[in-house]
Amino acid sequence: MITIIMALVLTVSVHGQKPTLFIGAKAHLGNGEVIQNSAISINKGKFDLIADASIIRIDPNAFDTIYRIYGKHIYPSFILPNTTLGITEIDAVRASRDYKETGGLNPNIRSLIAYNTDSKLAKTVRSNGVLIAQVTPRGGLVSGQSSIMYLDGNNWEDAAIKADDGIHINWPNSYYNTGWWAEPGETKQNKEYENKIHEFEKLFTQAKAYESSLNVIDLKMESMRGLFNGTKNLYIHANSSSDMRDAIDFAENYHVKNIIIVGGEDALSIANILVEKNIPVILNRVHRLPKSQDSPVSEPFEQAKRLNDVGVLFCLSYEGDMEAMGARNLSFTAGTTIAYGQEYEKAVQSITLNTAKILGIENVVGSIEYGKNATFFISSGDALDMRTNNVEQAFINGVAIDLNNHQKELFNKYR
Amino acid sequence: MKIPRIIIYLTLCSQIFAQETFPVNGVAETFEPIYAFTNANIISSPGVKYKNSTLIVQGNKILALDSNLNIPKGAIIYDLDGDYIYPSFIDLYSDYGLPKAKKGKYHYRPQYKSNKTGAYHWNEAVHPEINAGNEFSSNHKQAESYLSNGFGAVVTHTQDGILRGSAALVALSKKSDNENLLVRECAAFYSFKKGMSTQKNPTSLMGSISLVRQTFLDAEWYKSQKDQNNLSYDAFINQQKLPQIFALNDELDYSRLYKIADEFEIDFIAKGNGKEFLRVTEIADTDFPVIIPINFPNAYEVSNPETADWISLEKLKYWELAPYNPAILAQNKIKMCITSSGIKDSADFLKNLRIAITKGLSKEDALAALTTTPASLISMENILGSLKTGMLANFIITSNDIFEKGEIYENWNLGEQNIVNKKQVFDIRGYYTFNSDEFKNKSIVIKGELSKPKAIFYQLDSAAIITNLSQNKLNLSNYDGSFRAIGKFINGKINGRYQNKNGEYYNFSMVRDSLFFKKEKQLTNNELNPATPKTWFPNKAFGFENPPKQRNVLFKNATIWTNEAEGILQNSDVIISKGKIIAIGSLLSPLDYFKEDEFETIDASNLHLTSGIIDEHSHIAISRGVNEASQAVSAEVRIGDVINPNDHNIYRQLSGGAVASQLLHGSANPVGGQSAIIKLRWGSDAEEMKIKNADQFIKFALGENVKQSNWGDLENERFPQTRMGVEQVFYDAFYRARAYENAWDDYNNLSSVERKKAIAPREDLELNALVEILNSERFITCHSYVQSEINMLMHVADSMGFKINTFTHILEGYKVANKMKEHGAGGSTFSDWWAYKFEVNEAIPYNATLLNDAGVVTAINSDDAEMGRRLNQEAAKAVKYGKTSEEDAWKMITLNPAILLHLDKKMGSIKIGKDADIVLWTDNPLSVYAKVTQTYVDGKLMFDVEFDKKLQTRDKKERIRIIKLMSKDKSGSKKIQPKQTIEKLYHCDTEYEE
Repeated sequence: MITIIMALVLTVSVHGQKPTLFIGAKAHLGNGEVIQNSAISINKGKFDLIADASIIRIDPNAFDTIYRIYGKHIYPSFILPNTTLGITEIDAVRASRDYKETGGLNPNIRSLIAYNTDSKLAKTVRSNGVLIAQVTPRGGLVSGQSSIMYLDGNNWEDAAIKADDGIHINWPNSYYNTGWWAEPGETKQNKEYENKIHEFEKLFTQAKAYESSLNVIDLKMESMRGLFNGTKNLYIHANSSSDMRDAIDFAENYHVKNIIIVGGEDALSIANILVEKNIPVILNRVHRLPKSQDSPVSEPFEQAKRLNDVGVLFCLSYEGDMEAMGARNLSFTAGTTIAYGQEYEKAVQSITLNTAKILGIENVVGSIEYGKNATFFISSGDALDMRTNNVEQAFINGVAIDLNNHQKELFNKYR
Repeated sequence: MKIPRIIIYLTLCSQIFAQETFPVNGVAETFEPIYAFTNANIISSPGVKYKNSTLIVQGNKILALDSNLNIPKGAIIYDLDGDYIYPSFIDLYSDYGLPKAKKGKYHYRPQYKSNKTGAYHWNEAVHPEINAGNEFSSNHKQAESYLSNGFGAVVTHTQDGILRGSAALVALSKKSDNENLLVRECAAFYSFKKGMSTQKNPTSLMGSISLVRQTFLDAEWYKSQKDQNNLSYDAFINQQKLPQIFALNDELDYSRLYKIADEFEIDFIAKGNGKEFLRVTEIADTDFPVIIPINFPNAYEVSNPETADWISLEKLKYWELAPYNPAILAQNKIKMCITSSGIKDSADFLKNLRIAITKGLSKEDALAALTTTPASLISMENILGSLKTGMLANFIITSNDIFEKGEIYENWNLGEQNIVNKKQVFDIRGYYTFNSDEFKNKSIVIKGELSKPKAIFYQLDSAAIITNLSQNKLNLSNYDGSFRAIGKFINGKINGRYQNKNGEYYNFSMVRDSLFFKKEKQLTNNELNPATPKTWFPNKAFGFENPPKQRNVLFKNATIWTNEAEGILQNSDVIISKGKIIAIGSLLSPLDYFKEDEFETIDASNLHLTSGIIDEHSHIAISRGVNEASQAVSAEVRIGDVINPNDHNIYRQLSGGAVASQLLHGSANPVGGQSAIIKLRWGSDAEEMKIKNADQFIKFALGENVKQSNWGDLENERFPQTRMGVEQVFYDAFYRARAYENAWDDYNNLSSVERKKAIAPREDLELNALVEILNSERFITCHSYVQSEINMLMHVADSMGFKINTFTHILEGYKVANKMKEHGAGGSTFSDWWAYKFEVNEAIPYNATLLNDAGVVTAINSDDAEMGRRLNQEAAKAVKYGKTSEEDAWKMITLNPAILLHLDKKMGSIKIGKDADIVLWTDNPLSVYAKVTQTYVDGKLMFDVEFDKKLQTRDKKERIRIIKLMSKDKSGSKKIQPKQTIEKLYHCDTEYEE
């Protein structure tokens, strides 16, 4: 009700500014709410009016353009966290791989300057509703810094939503496997584990000390500053419960402000800690095989619903094999969580507002709410089901983007 | 009775000395004493026991045994006083006294040719010419460990390679090598593992199998020709008269070997790995005698619950069941030998043997498995394996029944004594009165084990003091060193002296007042006759306890996707019976088909009913290698040889509505291997998985994988390295195949008289398969990406007069769709994969639609175990991207792959008479929201969402039951740290097996 009253007031205020109106669509706001018959206007690149069209009166003269999209769906941009999209193009071609720097400790490395705004892959990904990605380096103990980018723009500078949003560290496995995968040997306590933890300790201890030192500029230390004052997130990539527990204790010990778990295969088993400490999780790809041969076949599909029920803040990612080109399936993985119990708008939230919150960009994007950047799209059908997903128009900051891509061009040539 | 035996003494006394040809340094030792072992319990062979009898031995032979013998004059008599005598054991699987095979130098570049010089086989792993007899020399240290476990003779060979060579039968005495070498060649050995060979071929199990088969064929041909010499074939041919022993990796290898045995009519003896119980009926059917290890797995460390979670139920169940393996084999009447190989700590052999007895193996069967059976398998039953006049004097003397707790005192080998454990003759245990100047009439008790007694001297300590005993000499000391004594036991008294805390010596005497008797623990009935835990099929999570049976089912009121002219039927019924669809319609009356209680009804209102998904391109359920990557053409290898019915991905695919898969060779070479088409009959064995009478297919491949583009810069040797070369590989292969076929035709057209004079062409498995292609008796599914190569292969086929059946992946098929249509090729593609390598830069998700629209039979496949269980979602992408109709999209994963695999007469649609491969869905099956509730294969319910929950509960219970058992494990064996298994899966370009 409050939203609607607000909206009525706003209708008056937009007079004279000639915004664009989208009317009739089922609007999935990204914050868990849905408006069956929506009226949404955008003005100067921002969401302005968000209302129930069956309740308010619309004055057509108040708008430059009116899109009558009855029966269609509006979603805020799906957000793809933790991805190499834009810094890789063809997996097997080394020259196109720009995500893994040499050296084990690279907190100073920045993904955004390698970001290719004309990635052919990115154009196919946004054709399915993903307009924002957290472009993330890989490898080593400390991979480097991610940045959050629009999948559009002339250069990385223009495309950035948030530069250097956080540092990604790969928590070592406390156990490792000997042999190789066809003939695995014993799992041994990882003797290197302690050494690697020690490397982290050294790095973080020095970074703490550097905070108050004024003598020299050290690129690595400088890049770590934000972890302690809350301007940068610490993304800890870890999966087993014991590793996640150790990692969280470690980060808290150094008073890291924003801790985020990436991966979280065993997140359910430490849910109490995650809830108590308010630590969110960027989950592994939903479409994966179960953890072990003993696990229920549908275990990965059910994880989202179960985490939701115990109150853990999480979002979905697509990390893994072919993660860049496959990222256009992100929304279908959210669809799968619905088949396995998740409520529809919650599933939408797990690839929109939750992601924005976890990445720290929820004040500008992530949902269709007043004042946020008008980055959204229209699908003629349910965008979470591959059977019906059909993105007809997409907007970044209120500007329509070209949904053509390399693949559509080939299709048009050969059809 | 006695007279003839004396005659035998005389004849045997004058035996030849083994070292007769050797010059003597010093004076000759010509005297050969006769030994008589009296008052013994002699088990001369399994089940034959002589109580209180005598064994007489001279030289290396047994002279006689009986309960009532005249002992020859001058014999040396050992009074065994009730000890036991058994024939010593025989181990058929040993590398005793042989040098270890060494790995050749590591090559950075692939090695395609053999590094071995000389006129030998082309493959380094094929070396039948290696002859253990030539390499053998006794190794006393190694012999000791065999002797201590009761062995007297072993069959030894170098355990390396595929055709390994011949083995020697050797004794374990300290006599000369000439005497220990009993038989120079007594068996030929084989395995599927290439071992130390650094040559590339074979890279897979299926490659090993083909190599074995081709070598057998080549040897036949070699016999008929005179143009060349090959020492490997000479040796191999010479070995054919020997027992043929094949070392296998696991329980699934038995049926693989059986096919070879059947093809070449060879009676193999199989050396297994202890997991035979998992497939025991299948193994019994092979009729192979088996040699099994008893290296039962140690318990896992389960104290940390999180790491214990890493141990699969499969491993837990294996731990529990492995000790039952020998008993289960015996119950199934499988002829069995037991080997000590595989046991890391030699002390575990007898321990594990006794465990096997407690798990139900009879002592007779155990003894036979160690003596008479191995002896007869190598035709040595007249010399070894039992105790009879004239046989070798190989026997052990034990304190008691060896299968219970009997300790081995002596192991006589070739008539030579070896002391294993000194017999404790004196029983000093009892209740004594101790006297010295310091202590008057104090009590001391000596109790415990006969040879390891413990003394308690209450005056000093209420606990036992340190007690060392050697025969009748005793040494006692307390823990602070204040009392240290030595004494000697004679006739119930111990006299000696000790030093006290002040360093003063005192004499003492102890008089035994009464004897000590140890109470034996009685085994409960449960411990004596343990119930064998059940084996599931497969023996892991989600395995079936009982195989599902065909059902009569009425599916009522479903939305039926028929894939036929009827399209999608609303509110309709289907009836299945005996594995087939027998009726389709609305308001069907089951009583027209069945009696009242002979069917079940499933209310399918709100459910969608479809035929099962068929995956044209899959690499699940394959053992040890999906690529034979060592040659550009490997048409001889067969996935059908290496199906792994235990792969849990079979169950996972069923949960996603899949019922059948084509298991393909990878794409590492232009002509890959022969595929296998299976139904996902979870719980069945490998052969039962295969679809009977299905047409035969073979995998071809083009592009980056076959030219090794992404294998690293060192892999640039194997031809071809470009697409240009790929074309030439095909022309070359098919021209060779045609010439080969002509040669056979010429030969077969000869009159029978002429044929006798002529030499038959060499049968070549690779060319056989290629000829089948030329004659359209085998069909190609070809991994392909770009238009140039697709077009090229169609030209090759057209010029040779056959068709390419299917292009698989075919991501640029849309560019040549009309040519494919014209050629008659089908396409089996990915829905939306692209950009993972350079050649798929122009792959588009509209491909399936464009192919379909051009009239090409189009399927969507997985090539991936994860995607294989949600192929319905992939089919839906043809609707999304290309706007293919829903019915057509659905056919892309059902009817169309059935057509491509030539199975559409039986599968792929809901039609009367077709197989009852049926899936029920909660929603439109193309929707991301659709879940499978049931999957039927041949009318058997293989997956059911409710039953799946029951299995989960059952598995959880079973897991905790075994973990509790494991926690109680007191075997003292080192616990195994749990493994965190990261599952990796085969894809097209997975190169190596090992």
